[in-house]
Amino acid sequence: MTVEQEHELDTLEINVNVGPQHPATHGVFRMVLAIDGEKVIDLVPHIGYLHRGAEKLSENLDYRQAIGLQDRTEYLAAFNAEFCYVMAIEKLAGIEVPERAEYIRVILAELNRITSHYMFMGAFSTDIGVFGTAFTYGFREREYIQDLFEEVSGDRMMYGYFRPGGVAWDVPDNFKERVRWVCRQTRVGISDIDGLLTNNEVFVARTRGIGAISLENAIDYGLSGPVLRACGLKVDLRREEPYSIYDRFDFDIPTGERGDSFDRYLVRLEEMRQSVRIVEQAVEQMPDSGPILPEKVPRRLRCPPGEVYMRAENPRGEYGIYLVSKGGDKPYRLKIRSPSYCNLMALKEMTVGHYVADAVVVLGSIDIVLGEVDR
Amino acid sequence: MEVKKAAATTPPEAETKAPTEVAVEAAPGTLRKSGVEIEAERLRPVQVEPGKALYRQVLPGVLQVPADLVIAAARKSSLWPMTFGLACCAIEMMATYMSHHDLDRFGIVPWASPRQADVMIVAGTVTKKMAPAVKLLYEQMPNPKWVISMGACATNGGPYTRYDRVLQGVDKIIPVDVYVPGCPPRPEALMDGLIALQNKIMEERKKIG
Amino acid sequence: MSPEELQEAPVVPPPAGSVADLFVAVLPDVEFQATQGALDVILTVDRGDVVRILRAARDDPRLDFKYLRCLSGVDHMEAGLEVVYHLYSYTHKHNVTIKTRLPQDDPSVPSVTSIWKGANWHEREAAEMFGIFFEGHPNLVPLLLPEDMTDHHPLRKDSPLAEIEEWQAERAGLAAGETGEAEE
Repeated sequence: MTVEQEHELDTLEINVNVGPQHPATHGVFRMVLAIDGEKVIDLVPHIGYLHRGAEKLSENLDYRQAIGLQDRTEYLAAFNAEFCYVMAIEKLAGIEVPERAEYIRVILAELNRITSHYMFMGAFSTDIGVFGTAFTYGFREREYIQDLFEEVSGDRMMYGYFRPGGVAWDVPDNFKERVRWVCRQTRVGISDIDGLLTNNEVFVARTRGIGAISLENAIDYGLSGPVLRACGLKVDLRREEPYSIYDRFDFDIPTGERGDSFDRYLVRLEEMRQSVRIVEQAVEQMPDSGPILPEKVPRRLRCPPGEVYMRAENPRGEYGIYLVSKGGDKPYRLKIRSPSYCNLMALKEMTVGHYVADAVVVLGSIDIVLGEVDR
Repeated sequence: MEVKKAAATTPPEAETKAPTEVAVEAAPGTLRKSGVEIEAERLRPVQVEPGKALYRQVLPGVLQVPADLVIAAARKSSLWPMTFGLACCAIEMMATYMSHHDLDRFGIVPWASPRQADVMIVAGTVTKKMAPAVKLLYEQMPNPKWVISMGACATNGGPYTRYDRVLQGVDKIIPVDVYVPGCPPRPEALMDGLIALQNKIMEERKKIG
Repeated sequence: MSPEELQEAPVVPPPAGSVADLFVAVLPDVEFQATQGALDVILTVDRGDVVRILRAARDDPRLDFKYLRCLSGVDHMEAGLEVVYHLYSYTHKHNVTIKTRLPQDDPSVPSVTSIWKGANWHEREAAEMFGIFFEGHPNLVPLLLPEDMTDHHPLRKDSPLAEIEEWQAERAGLAAGETGEAEE
């Protein structure tokens, strides 16, 4: 059909409901697209289908019990969420963490970052059309790391292992060998995924230039994490406001140039390699024995009155815990600032003007976890 | 705000539940519906009708027995679950489909569309905002259909049961056949639940269809 | 925790040369109450000055708080409701917490969506959870809760938790109305 004939066609503006149940496995998220022909002209996201009240319930549980709720809020990077929460309590109560526990926490948090990015690689490539191949590869690699998590904490996904002041119990004796084996295996897995996706013509064609956002808009919307680094800003909370012992490790911060979906994928791929570097350095430096909890932490932890906003670099961005305590052993107000929630605000900005098929790609590239969007 | 309780007195093993109507009381003197009434309307359970298959009318009596056996064996060997992952249990469900704990060897292939699916694995917390969508999806599935409630949240609300926007168990709105406990259940536990469902299909082959 | 056991945090003046001094230099006529929290400096301001202060915080090159980290509401029961803003600057690498207190019978505060676009959903959530009204917000409809079931605000201290169903309690042998222990 010639261009003139195309312009004579009348297109109708229709609303497409990408409903709460859809096969792009991101959970219960609903967006209503207004499309004209094939182009998206408006997008309204509806969230709240998984709103379970973690903040309200945490006000009635004491500090140790609420760790389990933090796991379930961000279920793909549970160690990172627990890490931020227990650090908030430690800053408020002034608890010192012993050296060995710090190293254990950093190793587990970085390995969890790797598993979370594997999940992203799998789910994102499924959205693109590499239906299932990279997903299966990613899950195979995740199983190796989850076996290590199960040896250490007892559970595959909801660990409940960190405590204010350290970790709950000591790691098994062969921990260092196991971690080194996992690092070797993960390097192979990352290069597998790299070879499968990075130079794949279809993958690049579907992601290059899609969902770009400028840097000023990104900061205005409050984006953080790989989405912001793909726009070109070399910022990482582990370097900006170092917490725990991250200032002892040597790692790079990958950035992108254009802020589109392909850059976000490349940033996350490179982050996985940097995480493996951190884990290897931590395993070398970790003391072979030592306490894992300070001696004088009471059973029922009581925090002095005050408030703190503790932030950590989660795989998806900046995870913040705003903890208000008025004495006692329960938090008075626990607000979870989740990166997926804030990153999702910019979805309309990124999608309007692209085609319907690209809306799914952009949503996948932001990498949301509905548990933390809705809490 | 009080939560209206559906009378769920039948034990979980019954294959068809007869949910009773939830009584709605109108607050006197108000024109706008109160939150309690809206909730009762949204969360009314589905009405379950027994099926009447053609082959039972065509082959009554003796010839129906081997037909039942073959049909039930065929149904249990090729269960296609609808991918209905809501929350964290969805990740363990996906891990069960993947190559480490393979479910394809049982004939279980994840299928996105409810119109061609046999079993609905409700994996995760059902909130009151999501409940009408769950009911709609259940009604869209054709008979014979089964429901597996995976995890503590779908069984009775789980860790979030004290929050009043969470439905305390998915069996308040749809009938459930197998409950798989755990938070989240291990992939082996979910496999055990699916095998239990297969056994149940074979045992109850006289009553389905 | 019963209300008698609640304690307030002590007011610790921030060290010299901190962000509080920058704010005083930029806006000399505004009343602040500054204290040093566990990580950030906390400034408590009057709700009428909030938009002016936040706009100056974003636009003034000495402060340059272009990144709104978080906006939350807190319920202090009789002392009123509180809206808390956490800000960070990528260029100067400093951060600040700004709070404002609202009376319980008139919880309304001007919206900051015209300053940072990222405040949109945070304000919608605070509105439905606490009942705070943000004047000037473009679309203040419920975000997380179902649209038609908003007859109370869940995160206020006087809205209770749900009871576990009676038949579960009867099965466990407890009396009707008693509930089990708080779960994780």
